[in-house]
Parts: sequence; structure tokens; C-alpha cells
Amino acid sequence: MKTILTVDDASTMRKMVSFTLKSAGHQVLEAADGAEAFATAQTRPIDLVIADINMPRMNGIELTRNLRGLPAYRSVPIVLLTTESDPAKKNEGRAAGATGWITKPFSQDQLLAVVAKVL
Amino acid sequence: MSEGGGSDFQEELVKDFLLESAEGLESFERDMLAVENGENSPDLLNQVFRVVHTIKGTAGCLGFNRIESIAHSGESVLSLVRDGELPASKEVADAMLRLSDALKAMLDLIESCGSDAEAGDFAELRELLEAVRDPDFAATPVEPDSVSAAEPEPRSEAEPAAEADGRWGLFGDEEPAAESKEETDTQAPADERWGLFDSEPEPEKPVPPSATESSAANDAPEPAGRSGPVAANSTIRVDIDLLDRLMNMVGELVLSRNQLLQVSQKRDISQSEVSLVSQRLNQVTSELQQNVMKTRMQPIGTVWGKYPRIVRDLAGELGKKVSLQTFGADTELDRTIIEAIKDPLTHIIRNAVDHGIETPDTRLAVGKSEEAQLFMRAFHEGGQVNIEIIDDGAGIDGDRIRRKAIEKGLISEKDSELLSEREMVSLIFLPGFSTAEKLSSISGRGVGMDVVKTNIEKIGGSVSIDSVRGEGTTLRIKIPLTLAIVPVLVAKSAGQRFAIPQVNLVELVRLEGEQMESLLEKVYDSPVFRLRGNLLPLVFLSKALKLSAPVAKQASSISIVVLRAERQLFGLVVEEVCDTEEIVVKPLGHLLKGLPTYAGATIMGDGSVAIILDSLGIAQLAGVLNASKPESFATEEESEEAGNYGMRNSLILFSLPGWGRLAVSLDDAERLEEFEADKIIRSGRQESVLYRGGIMKLVRLADHLRVASEESSQEQVIVYKIGERFVGLVVGEIHDIIEESVSLEPAGEQDGILGSAVIQGEVTDLVDVPRILKAARIDIPQNVA
Amino acid sequence: MDTQTQFCSFQLADLCFGFDVQRVQEVIRSPLLAPVPLAPPAISGLLNLRGQILTAIDLRRQLCLPEEEDSSEGRMLMIVCCEEGQVAFLVDSVGDVIDVDESSFESPPENLPASVRPFLRGVHKLDSSLLHVLDIEATASALNHEISL
Repeated sequence: MKTILTVDDASTMRKMVSFTLKSAGHQVLEAADGAEAFATAQTRPIDLVIADINMPRMNGIELTRNLRGLPAYRSVPIVLLTTESDPAKKNEGRAAGATGWITKPFSQDQLLAVVAKVL
Repeated sequence: MSEGGGSDFQEELVKDFLLESAEGLESFERDMLAVENGENSPDLLNQVFRVVHTIKGTAGCLGFNRIESIAHSGESVLSLVRDGELPASKEVADAMLRLSDALKAMLDLIESCGSDAEAGDFAELRELLEAVRDPDFAATPVEPDSVSAAEPEPRSEAEPAAEADGRWGLFGDEEPAAESKEETDTQAPADERWGLFDSEPEPEKPVPPSATESSAANDAPEPAGRSGPVAANSTIRVDIDLLDRLMNMVGELVLSRNQLLQVSQKRDISQSEVSLVSQRLNQVTSELQQNVMKTRMQPIGTVWGKYPRIVRDLAGELGKKVSLQTFGADTELDRTIIEAIKDPLTHIIRNAVDHGIETPDTRLAVGKSEEAQLFMRAFHEGGQVNIEIIDDGAGIDGDRIRRKAIEKGLISEKDSELLSEREMVSLIFLPGFSTAEKLSSISGRGVGMDVVKTNIEKIGGSVSIDSVRGEGTTLRIKIPLTLAIVPVLVAKSAGQRFAIPQVNLVELVRLEGEQMESLLEKVYDSPVFRLRGNLLPLVFLSKALKLSAPVAKQASSISIVVLRAERQLFGLVVEEVCDTEEIVVKPLGHLLKGLPTYAGATIMGDGSVAIILDSLGIAQLAGVLNASKPESFATEEESEEAGNYGMRNSLILFSLPGWGRLAVSLDDAERLEEFEADKIIRSGRQESVLYRGGIMKLVRLADHLRVASEESSQEQVIVYKIGERFVGLVVGEIHDIIEESVSLEPAGEQDGILGSAVIQGEVTDLVDVPRILKAARIDIPQNVA
Repeated sequence: MDTQTQFCSFQLADLCFGFDVQRVQEVIRSPLLAPVPLAPPAISGLLNLRGQILTAIDLRRQLCLPEEEDSSEGRMLMIVCCEEGQVAFLVDSVGDVIDVDESSFESPPENLPASVRPFLRGVHKLDSSLLHVLDIEATASALNHEISL
């Protein structure tokens, strides 16, 4: 069982990701934006961060950048959720130090496959 | 994400999605209008973008492909606007609002039948969204390929293919990205569905075992097992802090119950034990009650959010210019009431724009500004929520209404001759009346003002209308705050207790012994009292309500409760002022609804029933209001004055020894009080008094303005309410309360003075009260919701 | 069997009345009522029924019956459900539940005073007396303004 932090301002998305990961036996923490996620990440060890890119307060890319600035998160996998309309964001995410991306929409299996890959 | 998870979970997700999207779209419309009007902060633009973006993403994952697709088209437009590549023109705003409509229609469809498959393809809207992206000035080509490729909804076929391409990926782990950027681009072409930012190419494509099944869901209407609509409006969002508080209180309640059980099992139960437990239980339950009610309260702004849109569209359609302004959007109402007034309000707004407001030409011709003003305001008064819709349009032609009513057989010619102008106007509330000369598509929809009236009366409210020909119309709705908790003053007259809502309360004056004779004067036959030089008309409650006083002894003192009604003051004379309390307002039954003197009833701590007085109703009954100055015009005058000459302020004028003229704003003050010097408790340097069941700290203004403090036998105190507590500011001598428009000149170096102004011909210094309180270390707590 | 109805009977002055038993929610001893100044005389006041505030109608006044001489003692309140909600009726005393057959029903006589007519549906002829049947909705929703004190 791993601890996974899912970050999305859309509560439905967050729930969906969280449910999928929980049913695969993981422990899931939720955060509604980057700032909240960044705060949560500093309170406990996390094995994987799955974050939406476009969020208020702190977006997914800023979150990635900030997390990479913490020694404990230098090598923790960070997967960004993106949409096909912003391919440029993908490169920004990469530059910020993200581990990978998933394009919305995605299926539960796709999500689990990616998670299995990076953990 | 349709497979697995169980239909319950899927259902819950859909419900969440509907709620989230509906909320999103509401703010979307509001924000979009702001964008159209020239607001273009990055935050706002991003917020607008994000709403559609989120809907698109979530809809995709839930398999609502039509929503996803149309949202995608909208998102493309919005991303151009956000990046400053497309100006937020009227056309763009139009398209976005139509997108919002389409999305709402599809969400409704999902709510009623569980799928968006039946939704049309919105070809016209799609074209429109395409067209606005490419106006003459759209010089920058923004990846037209990638956008239009995704456009015609390729999902159902594209998905199996996408698996081969991969919908996710990995980047290089800790690799600085800059130099490998191009490399990654080639590794992960734009149509890949995922990727890992790995330095080595990712050869293995994720082929999830059951991925083919997932695509099947795209063809079938999805959640099959769902019965009935999920009704997004049967749920409510509650602040998590409030929920935590409720949880704590329930914990407390359980604790108290356990204590009670323990006590009850003892052989001899002592009185003090029982009263201790019951006190605690009492406290917990009343707190719990208040907080549970809070969960149902919502700001009226949640309904108002949609009106700017309606007004904009309607005005556009009719070729009129209207500016809508709302005040008091944070006025809270019970949720059920909010639901109930939504439609009537919409109708009234439509009516105002359609019938009330003239075309720009007509307006110019009669010397008005081209753009009409439409105001909506909400406020609490006397245990009621007041909602006013005010326009500066043509007003209602009473005579035309009268003739129409005769024509329709709603009233006889003879009866109609007796009607006042106001009564004629009120004929529009008769069932079967519609004022439109020609049936317009806008408000002539078979619902007339009679339906509005019925709907509002159904929830215990009332509607009235004031209109001045050529100047405008004011529609006033009053709704009882049935579930609200309001602070009241409990007063006694003829042995009966009455509750007086504190919103109307200005101050209390107590007269004892001889004062009762000497200070109560009469103008001809009407009792008055000199309040700081002005005559205050008095109403004796026992006389006004025809209370049969017990033939007991003459009271040794009386209290004058100074109340405000329609911006005028009057004094309500009672025998005794008992206490202040927070009460739950309950409606009077249908049999008593016709009595304007009461705002409801409440149950007191001892279980008995007390009636809540309506200060306006009492004032009208006693005839103390100056009828020649009806409120609606007063407010218009005032707002005009405020625009022309600066704000009008109510000020308390007072002096300190050695400082002649000082003033503070009356609006911020809670009450004016007087305390005898021997009632003041001193502990160290801190002075306090007992006040309204608590301890109130006193702050001597003189100390903070560094002038000599002189103690007198009667201290005059201005009471401020900070959070839930009171603080008293001890001032020298209060001289007057005046209303005057002031223009403030900056003060010198004196700390605690805001500035000075010429008031009544003399230079007067305005005290900076927050600063003084802060200097006195009265911590101003975070505003508790 | 179909034609049988049950009535909750009560006394006013020396007459016997009945409400359909299904509509009577409960019967309580009248607590101290909070008077409502300026209200029509048929309103005897407000009461707190487990946190709900109900209006009490003095049925004697509503039905133009003479005032009780000693009105302070032991009157009863019948809490009745009507369309507009619950209403409390102040009565002298409450009797048994009576089974009556529809066949014993008769409309009110022509010489009934007009002020009472809207409230009285008719009477059931019992063995020893007449059971006056009130129209609950009418009695609970419209106040009798004919009376004055």
C-alpha cells in the first residue's frame, strides 16, 4: 500500500481518482489546489503525487516546482493530469520536474497502469 | 472511468459533477459579464477558463462525450481570451453565454435521464464558437491543427487507437528539461494520451487489460441503474468549519446526556447537580440549534447571480440600455425561501426591463440618461427580509391599469372611481391581469404579477408596489425570516412580555419618578419627548395594543424604546425593559397573518410564548410616521445626494474636557449608554462594567487622545460590538446626533483622529475608533460567520 | 361498515359536538395562553406545543355560544390538523369517541343563524342527543367576525 496525494480543484475528478486508487489498495489523500497539496505534502511522507495542471492558487506546475525544491520530494514521482488542448503545458511540466502525464479523459485502468509504472 | 466501481459510486460522481458544474456555470456567467465589461485580470480570465476546462475534463472521464466536446470548443476560445490573443468582445461573450446555456441544458438532460447522448449536436453553437475564434484581428494562429483535430468528437473511434499511441507518459526523472525539450516533443507527440518524461524513449505502451471495455461505455447511455433525477438542488454545501462545530456540539451533547444518566441513577439527587447538568444541556442544545439553522441559511446572492445575465440579454433583445446594481447580496435567507422566491424575482426583473424601462430614445426625449438604472437590494428589518427592485423607468400608468381592469371585468367602473393612484397600480396583482398592450414574448408568458404575489404569499411574504409616473417603480417584497434567530429586547407592558427586534432599536431612555411627569410633554394631544433637543413622537404600547393593564399601582418608572421605522424615529413607551435575548422567530399562524403590528412569535426560555413586535406596523398603527415622505423616494433622493455631494453621515457629536468638538460615526456604534461611576469595576488599570449579561471593557477616549481624563459621576459611553463582545468607549459629554454630509480634511499628527471637518459651522475632529480600540489592546477577533 | 364514521366528541355550553377522529391530533389540558392584542375576539391566544407555536380558537366565541361563567378552570384544547397547519380549539370538555352511521346524518335546519351556518355541516341523531358536526376547514380558517365583546 502506498500513500498517494491527488490534487484537483474539481471535486468530482478528485473523487474519481481517489476511488480508483483506493480500490487498488492505496491510501489516498486529497487536496483541492496546489497550495493545499504543498502544505499536506510537508506533513507526511507521500509516495506519489497526481496533480491537475490548471488549478487556482497554486497550479500543478508550480506545485511540481515547489515540491522538487523540498529535499524529501526530489525523487517522489509526480504525475500531471492534462488535456489535449494545452500540449505546451506538458513541456512546462517536464521542465518543472514532473515524472509523467496523463491526458484527460482517461480510464481507471489507464490510471492504474501509470501508477503501477511509476511506483 | 465507467467500468467497475459500482453504480452507486458512479451515481454519486454524476451527482457531484452536476452540482459542481451548475455552481461553476453560475459564477461563469457572472464573471463572463465582468470580462465583457472590461475586467481582465489574469485571475478572472483563468477562473472563467477553468470552469469550462473542469467541466470538459470531468465530463470526459464520466463518459459524457457531447458535453466534453462542446466544452472543448468553448475552452479553445477561452484559452485565446486568457492568453490575450482574442479580445473579450460582445460576440465572444454572447457565444460564451450560449455555451453556458447549452451546457446547462445538457446537464439537465443528464439529471433527468442519466446521459447526454440524446442532446443535439449544437451545430450552430459549434459554428459560432469556431467563428468567434477567428475574427479579423486574430492574428496569431494558435495550433489550429491540434484544436480542430480534436473538434469533431473523435472519441468513440479514436480511443482504441489512442491506446496504441498511449494516453500517458513519463518524463526524465531528474533531468533538467531545457535541452531535452525537443527530444521529448518527438517522443511524445501531441496526440499521445500520456507520457513519462523519460530520457530514453518509452517503448512499452500501456495496454490495460480491459481498456477495450472502457471504450464500450462511450456508445451506451451510461448509468443505467439510476432511478429518477438526482436533483442537484436537493443538496447543499456546508462550510467545513461549521460542520466541525456541529460535530463538536453533538459530542458535547452526548457528554451531557451521559452525565444526566449518571445523575439520574444516583439514589439521592442533589438539586445543584441537576441544575448543573441541565444548564449544560441547555447551552449545548441551543448552540446546536443555532448552528443547524445556520447550515440552511444562504446568501441571497446565490439567486442574484443569474440576474445580470437576464437583464443583459433582455435589454439587448429589446434595444434598451440597463445597468443593474445589487446591494446586500450577503443577506441570508433560509434555503427553502431562496428557492421559492427565485422565479417570482426573475419575473419581476423581466417585467421591469420589459415594461418599466423605456427605450434609450424615449429616455433621452424626457431628459433622462440613456442608460436606465435597475437596483435590487436586500436587507433585514424587523425580523423580515426586505427585497426591493427599483427602476427609474416610466412608472406605471394607474389610469391605464384601471381601464384595463374594467375592460377585463376585474373591477366595476363605479368601484374603480374610488381608487387612489396607488390602489389602481395595485390592480396588476389581480388574477387575470397582464399589462402588456401587445403580448410580448418576454413577460407575457401566462404568468402575471398575480402568480408572483401568490407565490410570495405562499411562503408567508407580501408584495407591494409604488410607482410614480415618469419616475420609476419600486417593488417591495417582505419575507418573514421564519427560521432565523434574531437578537431582541424583551419588554413588558401591562404585564405581558413582548420581543422587539434589535435591528430597529436605536437607544433606550429610562424615566423615573418625577421625570415621568416633567419630561413627557404634549404637542396638543400627542405625547412627545425631547431627545437631545429634537421632539420624538411617543407611542404608548399598552394604548396602541389596547392592553388592559392590571389595575395595579402606578409604575414607578417607564422606558422609552427609541425605534427606527422607515428611517424615522419614534419612542415606544413600555413599563419595563427586561433583557436582551437571542430568539428563534416563528411565524404567526394563518389566522393572525393580517395583523401588521407583529412580526412573529417566539418561545421564551421558560416555555411561554412572546409576541414579536413589528416596529413599522406599530408606527403605522399609531400614525407617527410622516406620510408625506415615503421611503422609496427618500432613498432615491438620498442616493442622488450621495452621488452629488458626498456621503451623508450620521454622527455623534461629543466633547472631552479641554477638547470642544469631536465626532464619531453613529452607524458603527451599537448603542449609547450611561453608567454611574460606582458601577464601574476596576482591576489594575482596566475598567469594566456589567452589561447585557457579560463584562464589558471600558476604554477612556481621553487617555488615548492624551488629554486630561476627568471622572464624573455619570459616564457617557458609546458601545461598540466587536465579534460577540461589547466594548464601551467612555466619552466626555454627548451633545447631539446629526446627519450631515461631511468632507474630511486630513488631520495632523494626532494619533487616533481620522481628520477634521466643518460640522454645523464649526471645526470638528473625527475619531478613528478602530485605531483607538486597537491601541487599547481590544483584540478584534476574526469575524465569526 | 363503510358508512361508519368515528367522531371525537366534545362539549360546548350544553351542546355536543364532534370532530372527525382522524383529524384530531391530540387533546391537552389548556395551558396558559399568551393573549394576542388586537386579534379578533375568537382568538384566545397562542400556545407552545413542543416548540411549535399554535393559535388557539375559542370555539364558544367562534360559534356564538354564551361565554362560560367560570372560564378559568379546566378547559381543554383539541389540536386539529387542517390544510393550513395545526390549530388548537378551546372547548369545555372532551367526551368519548362515538361511532355513527351515515344514515343518522341530517343537514342543519333552515332557521340556523347565518353566523353559524358556514361552520356547521349538520347533525347526527344519536339515541339521547344530537351530535353537531363541524366543518373543520371552515372553522379553522375563517374567523367569525359577527361576534363582538
